[in-house]
Amino acid sequence: MQVKEVMSKEVITVKRSTTLKRLLEIFAKFHIFPLVPVIGEDNLLIGIVSFRNLVNVFQLRQPEILKAVPFLDEGEEDIFKVEFTEEIGSLVVAEDIMENKFITIQEDASLEEAYKLMKLHLKEEFPVVDRFGKLAGMIGIFDIIRYVFRHRGVIK
Amino acid sequence: MNTILGLGFILLIGLFSARLINKIKFPAVTAYLLSGILIGPSVFKLIPNDVISASGLISNIVLGIIAFGIGQNFSRDNFRKIGRSVIWISVLEACGAWIFVTLVFLIILRQPFYLSLLFGALSSATAPAATVMVIREYRAKGNFTDTLLGVVAIDDAWCLIIFAISLAISQAIYAHMLATFFLIKVFLNSILSIFGAFILGGIVATLLAYLSRYLRTQTELLIFTLGFVFLNIGIAIWLNLSVLLANMFLGATLVNINKSSFNFFDSIKTLDPPLFLLFFVLAGANLEISILGKLGLIGLVYLIFRVMGKMIGAGIGARISGASRSIKRYLGLGLVPQAGVALGCALIAKNDFPNVGSMIFTTIIATTVIYELIGPLCTKYALQKAGEILIEPPKNI
Repeated sequence: MQVKEVMSKEVITVKRSTTLKRLLEIFAKFHIFPLVPVIGEDNLLIGIVSFRNLVNVFQLRQPEILKAVPFLDEGEEDIFKVEFTEEIGSLVVAEDIMENKFITIQEDASLEEAYKLMKLHLKEEFPVVDRFGKLAGMIGIFDIIRYVFRHRGVIK
Repeated sequence: MNTILGLGFILLIGLFSARLINKIKFPAVTAYLLSGILIGPSVFKLIPNDVISASGLISNIVLGIIAFGIGQNFSRDNFRKIGRSVIWISVLEACGAWIFVTLVFLIILRQPFYLSLLFGALSSATAPAATVMVIREYRAKGNFTDTLLGVVAIDDAWCLIIFAISLAISQAIYAHMLATFFLIKVFLNSILSIFGAFILGGIVATLLAYLSRYLRTQTELLIFTLGFVFLNIGIAIWLNLSVLLANMFLGATLVNINKSSFNFFDSIKTLDPPLFLLFFVLAGANLEISILGKLGLIGLVYLIFRVMGKMIGAGIGARISGASRSIKRYLGLGLVPQAGVALGCALIAKNDFPNVGSMIFTTIIATTVIYELIGPLCTKYALQKAGEILIEPPKNI
């Protein structure tokens, strides 16, 4: 069974220019913040935004480049006390906070492979891409588990 | 006291002292170092000798891991992101301190060339922790802040290269001082140590990338990565190659040949905190108070000329790359702190040069403590002069 047969094809995506405010609004009705693909021109997948990236907004800047620096103290910011103005909602856009190094899975990969990757990277959800790097859908661990149950006849 | 009890003390004292010093806005490394000095053989003698004698082993492991992590800077993508100005400034401030300190030790203090070169190389390191902390605390932002962050982030990479080259040359000079064809031997030995390390790092990275397809879980990934880092360190030591360069090149090759290489770096990062704590506390514990008194002039010269070299180098780099006036003038002041990389390299020097090692190491620890204490003030001054501190720090002590 291939990933594309099980994945969710209808995915809510955002653009580079989607503001923080909009991001928060879109997912207001979800009970958690999902993993959101950021897509560029021609539906190319260029980044992902998770709740961690939203929290990073509080941490003022933690540039990518500092990731390789040893001995750095973790910046701990009390999110209940941080001061910012409401303008931050329109000043910060998806491109500023998105993760641009992330794992994707090809749509023709097998479900076993997808499950293995999830275990290897301790992730529960991956964006699925086609051969050209365009976003094809999302696959989560629940999609795979549900497939197994269906396959065994537990559900139809 | 038994070894394990000693390790327990080190970890817990390190942790609490870091919390404490955080209240007065100094980075954890300063706390580890000071507690190491306090609980070490020079003062309270709370660290068992077995643990102290493992310092060399731990510093080799820690530096190997650090060098591996620093290697991930060398991707094309990263160089494009950090920009021309940061590259010029960082290369020249590191080389500025290297050349300046080497020359001053050689000419004014009349120290032997190999020793001057080692001090020069050590002086090229900058510790980002204190600088980043000040930037965060005062919420500094702007062009100056961005450039400063870029420079402190990439500086360690240049320092490791400079130190590896200087170490190879110093070792060759030291070993062949009386030999015929002296210069040729020095040259050949240095080249071998450096290029051998590149080849080793490249081969191990290729092997690592190839075999990684068989990994199944996050636990395996961590063990696998650590195993390869140790393998690389071990082979480099065995073949007399530069450990630092071999690991840095392992990381650098990996980041360029493997699309999801960030996983290897991220997984090994989970091991860092306790290892780094141990490393710094032990570095502090290795301070020999008896030598401290004799260091006066050497320490003072090192303290002053390292900063001058960095300021002049950064100024020239800023001029070449057409950076703003405040960057030309004040950026060097943000580069005062010195810590982990300098200490690790000094521990290597201590092991490789038994006759002068203790003197080098004690000088570096003593100056590190001073730099870590005054560094944040210099950074704050530089940021103020550049006009990038806008608000008062939040008072949440």
